[in-house]
Amino acid sequence: MEKSTDTNLYMRVSQQDKAALEQLYDRYEKILFSFLYKMLEDRELAEEALQEVFIKIWRGKGVYDESKGKFTSWLFRMAQNTAIDLIRKRKQPSVPIEEAAQMVSNDAPVEQQVEWQEEKSQIEMAVQHLSAEQQKMIDLFYFKGHTHETIADMCNIPLGTVKSRIRLALKKLKISLHGMQERGAYDD
Amino acid sequence: MTNIDCDYLLDYLNGTLSIDEVQQFEEHLKTCTECQEIVEATGQLPYLADPVEPPTAMKARILANVFEEEPVQDNPTVALKPAMSAIPIRKNKSRRNTWKPLLAAVLLLSLLGNGYAFFQLSDKEGGPETAIQSFQLEPNAAFSGTATAELIEEDGLVNLVVQADRLAELDASQVYQVWLIKDGKPIPAGAFSPNPNGEGASYYQLEETAAEWDTIAVTLEPKAGNQLPEGEIVLSSEI
Repeated sequence: MEKSTDTNLYMRVSQQDKAALEQLYDRYEKILFSFLYKMLEDRELAEEALQEVFIKIWRGKGVYDESKGKFTSWLFRMAQNTAIDLIRKRKQPSVPIEEAAQMVSNDAPVEQQVEWQEEKSQIEMAVQHLSAEQQKMIDLFYFKGHTHETIADMCNIPLGTVKSRIRLALKKLKISLHGMQERGAYDD
Repeated sequence: MTNIDCDYLLDYLNGTLSIDEVQQFEEHLKTCTECQEIVEATGQLPYLADPVEPPTAMKARILANVFEEEPVQDNPTVALKPAMSAIPIRKNKSRRNTWKPLLAAVLLLSLLGNGYAFFQLSDKEGGPETAIQSFQLEPNAAFSGTATAELIEEDGLVNLVVQADRLAELDASQVYQVWLIKDGKPIPAGAFSPNPNGEGASYYQLEETAAEWDTIAVTLEPKAGNQLPEGEIVLSSEI
């Protein structure tokens, strides 16, 4: 249901339907901004990245088709890649922790909150199945946007080992999530 | 030919592939269930983020920038109707030099309440604005809403921005219509519907100068798109 709504909106956007882009924006503003903020730790950069994401969508620089999987996976990957580009361009101090705490909010529409919470609890459970080392790998690789080389330097381990550990961590994550779906915990 | 296979998964996820390589990897993805599943699994990682409140007016800023290359829509002036008498009001003119934040704010409101104004946003950003006049619109006796109007002259064009609040909910077909009036002859100059917070806004660009008009009024119209007013004036001001 949700997927078809997203795909439908996306198709309208590709025909330059502004209202559809606005709906897509409303739907994903909060999760994208929160995600980008988690990655960039800077409000202005998070906004810049979010804007870039929607410019890419609007101008057709990123093209989604359903054979690429879920719309959200595609959307989040585009956001993540955009944030990584910004991370690699800048090295600035991030927003103080206190400010970040003040920005935490729960006033999203109820259905968004529910959806978010469901996804969040699932992924949190899956992440808990990973070792501390694997969690660290995913954080450095996915959220901090570090290259394999940088992670190898930071963790003082060979490059090949970094790659295999990240891959193994992601594989384990996939298996955990898949297991939840099999057990019916996943309700898409 | 590069042999793009599972080994490129991490580079794909980390955005370090070239455009060609991305396309090739996505071809691989269509046939590789394991890579597909890993990609899908990472698609849930963003939900680990704690909810963070987006900055005020971010939506307006972003969408304005996203759409900024859109062509300007023509707003031909049209004819008129006799006898629209404005409610007498006080003038409240002011001048400011920075109107972009205002437009951003207006856009936000318009996005919330009225797609119409949104489509009027042009690529005029950057042109030299020469003046801003601000008016507090006076409500008629039975109307509880309030509104302000801004006339912004830029390159010989007039941009009219109206922001209103404390508006009552309307029937689906109704709309608040803004009119510019000269000697009792009105032309439509934007329209808006209230959002759930009772706010509405419109943005309209005209080819005439501000001196062409003597009154601005807002009517409650039974339907959108009227070229002449049918409903009563609920807010107005002399210009």
